[in-house]
Amino acid sequence: MDGFLIILWLVRIAFLLLIYAFLFAVVRVLLRDLRAASRGPAELGRLTVLASPRGEPQPGASYPLDAVTHLGRDVNNGIVLDDPFASAEHAILTYRGRNWYIEDLASTNGTYVNGVPVEGLGPLGFGDEVQVGEIRFRLDRGRG
Amino acid sequence: MSVAAARPFAGFRIRPRPRTTELLLLALVALTLVVGGASLGATQQVREAVRTGVELKAFDFTPPDARGLLIYLAALLGVHLAFVLAGRRTDQVLLPTAAMLGGIGLLLMQRLPQDLVTQSFGGTELGLGQLQLAWLLVALTVITALALFVRSDAWLRTYKYTWAAAGIGLLLLVFVFGSDVNGARLSLSIGPISGQPSELLKVILVVFLAGYLSENRALLADESTRIGPISLPPLPYLAPMVAMWAIALGIVVVQRDLGAALLFFAVFLGLLYVATGRPSYVIGGLLLFVAGAFVLYNLFGHVHARVDNWLDPWADPQGSGFQVVQALYAFGRGGILGVGLGAGLPLIGGRLPVPAVHTDYPLAALGEELGLVGLLAVLGLYLVLVSRGLRIAAAGHDEFRSLLAAGLALVVGVQAFIIAAGNLKLIPLTGITLPFISYGGSSLLANALVVGLLMALSDRGAEPPPAPRDPRRRFRRIRLGKARA
Repeated sequence: MDGFLIILWLVRIAFLLLIYAFLFAVVRVLLRDLRAASRGPAELGRLTVLASPRGEPQPGASYPLDAVTHLGRDVNNGIVLDDPFASAEHAILTYRGRNWYIEDLASTNGTYVNGVPVEGLGPLGFGDEVQVGEIRFRLDRGRG
Repeated sequence: MSVAAARPFAGFRIRPRPRTTELLLLALVALTLVVGGASLGATQQVREAVRTGVELKAFDFTPPDARGLLIYLAALLGVHLAFVLAGRRTDQVLLPTAAMLGGIGLLLMQRLPQDLVTQSFGGTELGLGQLQLAWLLVALTVITALALFVRSDAWLRTYKYTWAAAGIGLLLLVFVFGSDVNGARLSLSIGPISGQPSELLKVILVVFLAGYLSENRALLADESTRIGPISLPPLPYLAPMVAMWAIALGIVVVQRDLGAALLFFAVFLGLLYVATGRPSYVIGGLLLFVAGAFVLYNLFGHVHARVDNWLDPWADPQGSGFQVVQALYAFGRGGILGVGLGAGLPLIGGRLPVPAVHTDYPLAALGEELGLVGLLAVLGLYLVLVSRGLRIAAAGHDEFRSLLAAGLALVVGVQAFIIAAGNLKLIPLTGITLPFISYGGSSLLANALVVGLLMALSDRGAEPPPAPRDPRRRFRRIRLGKARA
């Protein structure tokens, strides 16, 4: 009987400890989640205007980028390019997986990455320079 | 053949997604409940042996209702599998936490005298534990349905005034047709089904408030009217606040339901603060509430009796103060580690010391049998639910979803606080249930609605699309092209 009671006491304490183990596990999940949230949502990237002779976009301006950003002369683009060499729908910047890509939308005068014309879809690294007509951009890392 | 033709039911494609965190937490829940059940079964046998004087021969750790416990655990696994198959990226902590609370409640109900509540279905008599199990299964079904199928919140957002009207209609229905329980007009019977609409009402209230506040948030946060040193928002937008106050007091007067009134008003003030960020509202609301409570205290006997009971239960320890005093004794007997599941609550003169232990006083029973340590753990579980809800609110796409999540989290937290504080004689006792633990279909269903909606709101949407296939090759071609040129 006494041995039984001791085991019973241990089982009782084990029950309490298990509830705390559960709480501990849950709090760990919550903390991990909070840490991840405090890091993000970081910006995916920024596009800094290096040169823009006609003032649209403003030279020196820096645009935070969405996962998909349209560039072109048309006012419906995310970033409007006022340049006679830009097409209405000129190019798309997309963020997929962990990388940036630039896609030239069969524009008349082409899109250049570091001076190289883009054929269809090409990857874009942080620090790369994009040129459309006389407008030059640089892809920068997002802030925060 | 096109892709669309190959998959005629594009909406019903099964894309399983593993939910490891949830599975691990649920496994921990299962282990805990099995150990708890073993402790409960063994304790009951020891007590039986001591009572009858028969020497125990073998160690037996079978839970008192092993089949019920297994059904519950299997149902949890089933819900988890349904979530995995559905593949939505919803919260993985809410279900295990609610399951833990529900499981502790189930163990408690299996431990209490089974004839406390009985209901017979087609000749089979179901006791307290079995009824609670049945309601828990229904609640799990509700959680699953909401978490799987609620994808849009438009049906909540668009019809907020309809919901509010339905809520007020429900209130009137209870007022006209309701029956009295312990001096409070709470329950409504339609045919064989009876329920407490105020439990449902709290969810409706949150939906309405979230809709109203998200629409008028900017106006409410504005300070355009100045009366002396106090600046107020445009007066017409104060109307719902005053109306809310009137409804809360009306519930006290008409339904004599102090708990629901307190809960509604506290949730209302909390949401108002969340939406506007102005503490002056909360202070003003509290002052209004105190003033109203003071008037009610002097005008109405039942409020008076409750408060007097709280101030000095020892004035009539065998009569009106009996429950409060016995609950305090139970907490005292529990001490730090408790007397063990199944070892508490000695009958006094053939009756339970706390008659409403399964609805209003489950915390007293837990406090006695699991002690301060167990009580703190249970309160910690509620804290987890609330923090998770607020986290979902913070991540909400828009204001309605944020306010809805915050309000749902607040409802559970405030309700647990009110009844826990009432049990511990911190505030006057109000007859509301302890979420997920108390016996009762309405309570379990309403809280299942809360958790199900929170899970649906926590959906993080589709995964970001995978990277395109091998773009480097194309790039290399560009490079080569230049070199050739």
